[in-house]
Amino acid sequence: MKRFGDLTAHVVTFCRALRVRGLTIGPREAADALRALASIDVSDRRLCYLSLRTVLVTRHEDFPTFDAVFAEYWNPPAPEPARLQDAGADELPGDGEGERPKPSVIDWLDQALQAEGETPVAAYSPDEALTRKDFSAFTASELDEMSRLVVAIARRVATRLSRRTRAVQRSHHLDLRRTIRHSLRRGGEVLDLAYRRRKIQKTRVVLLADVSGSMDLYSRFLIQFIFALQHALGQIETFVFSTSLTRVTDAMSEADLRQALDEVAQRVPDWSGGTKIGHSVRSFLHLYGRSLLGSRTVAIIISDGWDTGEIDVLRDAMDELRRRVGRIIWLNPLLGGTGYEPICQGMRAALPYVDVFASAHNLDSLRQLEKHLAARAR
Amino acid sequence: MHTGINDIQQLLEGEGYVADRSLSTALYLAIQLRKPLLIEGAAGVGKTEVAKVMARALEADLIRLQCYEGLDATTSLYEWNYQRQLLHIRLQESTDLPLEVKEREIFSEPFLLKRPLLQAITHPKAPVLLIDEVDRADEEWEAFLLEVLSDWQVTIPEIGTIAARHVPYVVLTSNRTRELGDALRRRCLYLWIDFPTYEKELAIVSRKVPGINSELAKQIAAFMQMVRRAKLEKIPGIAETLDWSAALIALHRDHLDRDAVEQTLGVLFKHREDADLLRTQWLDHVLQGLQTVENTNGPWSQDTIDRAADQVLPKVTGSRRP
Repeated sequence: MKRFGDLTAHVVTFCRALRVRGLTIGPREAADALRALASIDVSDRRLCYLSLRTVLVTRHEDFPTFDAVFAEYWNPPAPEPARLQDAGADELPGDGEGERPKPSVIDWLDQALQAEGETPVAAYSPDEALTRKDFSAFTASELDEMSRLVVAIARRVATRLSRRTRAVQRSHHLDLRRTIRHSLRRGGEVLDLAYRRRKIQKTRVVLLADVSGSMDLYSRFLIQFIFALQHALGQIETFVFSTSLTRVTDAMSEADLRQALDEVAQRVPDWSGGTKIGHSVRSFLHLYGRSLLGSRTVAIIISDGWDTGEIDVLRDAMDELRRRVGRIIWLNPLLGGTGYEPICQGMRAALPYVDVFASAHNLDSLRQLEKHLAARAR
Repeated sequence: MHTGINDIQQLLEGEGYVADRSLSTALYLAIQLRKPLLIEGAAGVGKTEVAKVMARALEADLIRLQCYEGLDATTSLYEWNYQRQLLHIRLQESTDLPLEVKEREIFSEPFLLKRPLLQAITHPKAPVLLIDEVDRADEEWEAFLLEVLSDWQVTIPEIGTIAARHVPYVVLTSNRTRELGDALRRRCLYLWIDFPTYEKELAIVSRKVPGINSELAKQIAAFMQMVRRAKLEKIPGIAETLDWSAALIALHRDHLDRDAVEQTLGVLFKHREDADLLRTQWLDHVLQGLQTVENTNGPWSQDTIDRAADQVLPKVTGSRRP
């Protein structure tokens, strides 16, 4: 079946192209696409389009990407898929003859998985003001106070009791199954009530800290905060950003604070450069969103909202973040200044998506933050 | 092959559902590939209706599971009938049966309360299982659901493993209050239902509202197209359109005017802010838009309505809320 072999090859290339553009597509999806095409009239281009979209796309946001790739690969003048010989056919794994489709799908998956395993590296660009800062010591009493406070804050975040049990039953949850079972031993008399303990659900915290020029004054302070939070919490992922995003979770775990701060300074190439918040949040969503986000995640963004990137990018990124986490807390050091109104464009665009908007310019403001973390906004 | 899709289209039409091609294709593939179908879209665009119509078209039973926060395995899969167990223990009190036997008795199938998922699995004929508003359940349950959808078998410690007699047809709906996990998404086929076009909405109104005259139906459908351009808390869907049409008819209105709309705003908008916004800032423009369409010669279409709307409606900046 030459025709089927060709179709297989094309579907596989097509899937790969979608994958390159960021859609989550594995061999199962590719196999489903083939099954779908096998059950329809493939000479009907509109029907092919609808079928492939139904099988391969899993969210509405990906429709435009799909449309673009579809137009590239399955465009006229060859509406008959069997005759589609162009569109990168020469780089296909396997020539698509007869029984070959399966290995080619697996090869393709291998490549795709390898591509995914690559760790993102901090982008370096000569435009970024490359000033590596030496973090000199904070006073000892400041450090102590900070750690104590932050541990208290972190505990609040770390153990949020499950809302559902709290809503249903104020005290314990009766475990009827075990109660009945126990009662058997006493001839059906219910003497001991068995309880189910509510599960303690851990909150995961993702921290995105702005370290760009406009945040310079606060950077040292915030790095301290991040560090202490991470120590108390364990379950916290830390990223710093200005024009690009860098994951610093591991660096932050260094036992020696001083060493940790040095490491951050070294790892972030654009310390005190400009800010592209939207771009940074987007690349965070893209690279780490799948593994880190969920309704029990609290995202804390520390930034003054001075965004030099495009506002639409920021708005879209915040919109997506909003839908993928339980709560967004935005800490803005400028809010501490009297009479500050969030008038800068970036802050205004982001604000509708933020659950808690608070200041973070000194220890007092962090104490305030403790309140926000304790009370549920939603 | 291809006729399968046309058959489905006809079945849907026969059931009174106005289906476009993407819907019938998705349903056809869900049946052919036996994969769950995830339907997303704003509230009130007829997502739930798809499952109901699918069940009628397949002549299958519909089993519905409404999701909510806190939904867990006992309320979605099975629960023991404790009252009945207690009663049984009492009845057996005087017998000398050993404890193990008594225990085995009360933890057997007659004492099992089947919840929707188990019902679907043990149903004698493959049913349509509607998992409604899955975005409202929490992530643990989503993971649990994923397991059920993968294996189609359920293990009850006291009884053993129950495998599905027939794999049910599964339809999941989501209003996107929460982003669903990738694992669940990838398990499903995907269908996005948008707000209907003028033509589709007109067809729905004409078909679903008995006794409506064609002028009023056209006006209602065009009105909805224009109103959905406003920045609202809750954009009215087809369900609201139908309720509104019924209300207008109950009030013996045969055309739309300011009075008729103001009297019935509460049916169309579920938020007071939305109703206020429409009354104070939009209503005059929309009515003017209807007049503009009226004055153009030729049939009404999405195109003529869009053009009229561009001319007279207030400009809305920024994107519409999802």
